Amino acid sequence: MEPMDIVGKSKEDVSLPKATMFKIIKEMLPPDVRVARDAQDLLVECCVEFINLVSSESNEVCSREEKRTIAPEHVLKALEVLGFGEYVEEVYAAYEQHKLDTLDSPKGGKSSIEMTEEEALAEQQRMFAEARARMNNGMTLQKQSDSDHVLNS
Amino acid sequence: MRQAGTYSAILSGGVSGRTGPHSLPLARIKKIMKRSGDDVKMISGEAPIVFSKACELFIEELTQRAWMMTLQGKRRTLHKEDVAAAVMATDIFDFLVEMVSDSNGTQMAPATKSNISVAER
Repeated sequence: MEPMDIVGKSKEDVSLPKATMFKIIKEMLPPDVRVARDAQDLLVECCVEFINLVSSESNEVCSREEKRTIAPEHVLKALEVLGFGEYVEEVYAAYEQHKLDTLDSPKGGKSSIEMTEEEALAEQQRMFAEARARMNNGMTLQKQSDSDHVLNS
Repeated sequence: MRQAGTYSAILSGGVSGRTGPHSLPLARIKKIMKRSGDDVKMISGEAPIVFSKACELFIEELTQRAWMMTLQGKRRTLHKEDVAAAVMATDIFDFLVEMVSDSNGTQMAPATKSNISVAER
């Protein structure tokens, strides 16, 4: 891995992580195919340029609709305008899926988060009890209080 | 020469032999978006997600087309020239023409939307 992949904080060059890009590229090809280094780099640069292009168009779409924030709908529209209409369906599906995934925590009632907390609390009590039991075994039988340690004299 | 199975898989356009989720980093995408122009508006949190998928599809298409050039040349290594050839052969990749021709060393039409440095080799 090159340092550039990790740092990427230079004001001049904001690129995409080559490792991730390379994985995407490789999956499109048969396993025995090689991709020359310069071809890899060029593909990454093209992708960045793609983002630039669609961003510019999205920005314009957003302006025309007199909105202040570039929303997914603007990006989808931009893709269509630029001739990438074929992508729209899949992109939209991925977007919808993402929304579903992030909606996992329900708003009210018995949420999985509450139960997890209860479980965690119970787990914690159990671990305390176990620890106490271990201490009791190691030392003479003593009554331990819940909060602070009682130091032996 | 031609491996029918592989080739037809590519032609069908639905090679989804994904081994796992490879998402591009959203923060990085957002950075690139912000630098794409002078007066870029605020970007919603969800826009980079849409971009991530779009980029994936874009790279896949470009790679596929480049690979077809490689096959035409009866090679097994995808070279820069194959990417360039794919760009030339595809209308919607017109915006990349300067980028690939720069790499090849020949100047073509001036840039329209992108702000690339004009360097001669």
